[in-house]
Amino acid sequence: MASSSSSGLTFKLHPLVIVNISDHYTRVKSQMNHSSSATTTNDDNNNGAQPRVYGCVIGIQRGRTVEIFNSFELLYDPSTHSLDRAFLEKKQELYKKVFPHFYILGWYSTGSDAQESDMHIHKALMDINESPVYVLLNPSINPAQKDLPVTIFESELHVIEGIPQLIFVRSSYTIETVEAERISVDHVAHLKPSDGGSAATQLAAHLTGIHSAIKMLNSRIRVLHHYLVAMQKGEIPCENSLLRQVSSLLRRLPAIESEKFQDDFLMVSLFSSFLNIFTIFYH
Amino acid sequence: MDIEQRQAELIDHFVKQASNQKGAALGSVIVEATSQPSLFAFSEILAVPNIAEFEGTENSKYLDMLRLFAHGTWSDYKNNAGHLPQLVPDQVLKLKQLTVLTLAETNKVLPYDELMEELDVTNVRELEDFLINECMYTGIVRGKLDQLRRCFEVQFAAGRDLRPGQLGSMIQTLSNWLTTSDNLLISIQEKIKWADSMNEMDKKHRKDLEEKVEEAKKSLSHKVC
Repeated sequence: MASSSSSGLTFKLHPLVIVNISDHYTRVKSQMNHSSSATTTNDDNNNGAQPRVYGCVIGIQRGRTVEIFNSFELLYDPSTHSLDRAFLEKKQELYKKVFPHFYILGWYSTGSDAQESDMHIHKALMDINESPVYVLLNPSINPAQKDLPVTIFESELHVIEGIPQLIFVRSSYTIETVEAERISVDHVAHLKPSDGGSAATQLAAHLTGIHSAIKMLNSRIRVLHHYLVAMQKGEIPCENSLLRQVSSLLRRLPAIESEKFQDDFLMVSLFSSFLNIFTIFYH
Repeated sequence: MDIEQRQAELIDHFVKQASNQKGAALGSVIVEATSQPSLFAFSEILAVPNIAEFEGTENSKYLDMLRLFAHGTWSDYKNNAGHLPQLVPDQVLKLKQLTVLTLAETNKVLPYDELMEELDVTNVRELEDFLINECMYTGIVRGKLDQLRRCFEVQFAAGRDLRPGQLGSMIQTLSNWLTTSDNLLISIQEKIKWADSMNEMDKKHRKDLEEKVEEAKKSLSHKVC
């Protein structure tokens, strides 16, 4: 069902869309858990533990570049297997007032792969946009996976067994962002337990962040070290410009004296967490 | 890092020129390379075989001059002035810039007095002008001038060509850095565990306290009845 796209369109995805879809899914899932603990029967359209959420993506299409800026949620009508049209049009009007340049570029959903039934929704959207895009977010967390679990599908007319059919083909995309968006998404990603937890949980969260940052720095330095050792042993020809850059880097090194540093650093993080709590306490 | 990019073209250009010339013409290539205002790296040119042939011949002073620019300072030049060819003003300027880089290798805070002595400059104003115009604007050095304490704090200095023995000490510094950061990671992990266990203990304590309060309430209500 999914080969790779040949339409030549370049897709740019903004992180806001990914955060929106993930937030929508999380809300629905947690509400489902909450309500299913109260009632025993549940005959909604949730299949097992993974509810599917649906929505629309909007953005700008300039020539061959499709830039997806934002998204909003839509109601899925399980009886007709289609999205609620009236609601979509109302939302579209509202968004047009605020963002006059944005058009409906396609729709999104969650799941592990594109399905046959999705084509039905896709075709329904074709009267708004001749070639809509389908953004799929895979909500299952796979710790080994390095890329984002987001796939963008386009529809193409392929001849299969003598019948021309529309099928989904994957497209590649890049992530594009502007400064303001980067700051807000970063802020959202770093939300700490705001019920004031205890000093301990806030401290643990803060320290964990620093731990991962230092771990990354550590691995990079290890690579450099390995490279230099190999250069010394003669396995790699000496590249002078690199050596010069490394020596200039090492000269910045004694940024802080090391023994006092560890104690001061830990004390500073403790203090900052305490101050955070006090400010919450007094407001 | 962008200094390296800017230099890369010049280095290629001079290496090509050096490989094509011989003898006295090669000497003038060396002089041209060392007067070039944006070029601070000479080990590639030093590595060209034609230049290595200069060793021991009458042109060996050009080789020595190139070595001076690769690893030496202004004071080295003054001490050896007899053996080296006369330097044109551009070269004098470059050698002084390279001297600042060498001084920045050992200390992050350079006192004005030391700088003035190394660079043969008599007053602070001239020193500061030199540092600002020739070193900071060219981008080989970044730092803060502290006039009250009469020192120059270096935050970044471009790398000079490596002496043969320096690679070993760089590797040593890197492995020290690695061990320090490994230790730091371990102590952070311990602190995280400590914070979590403190949290657990606190919750347990609270629960125990509440249970005791409940019991006390019950026993009181029983006594009343």
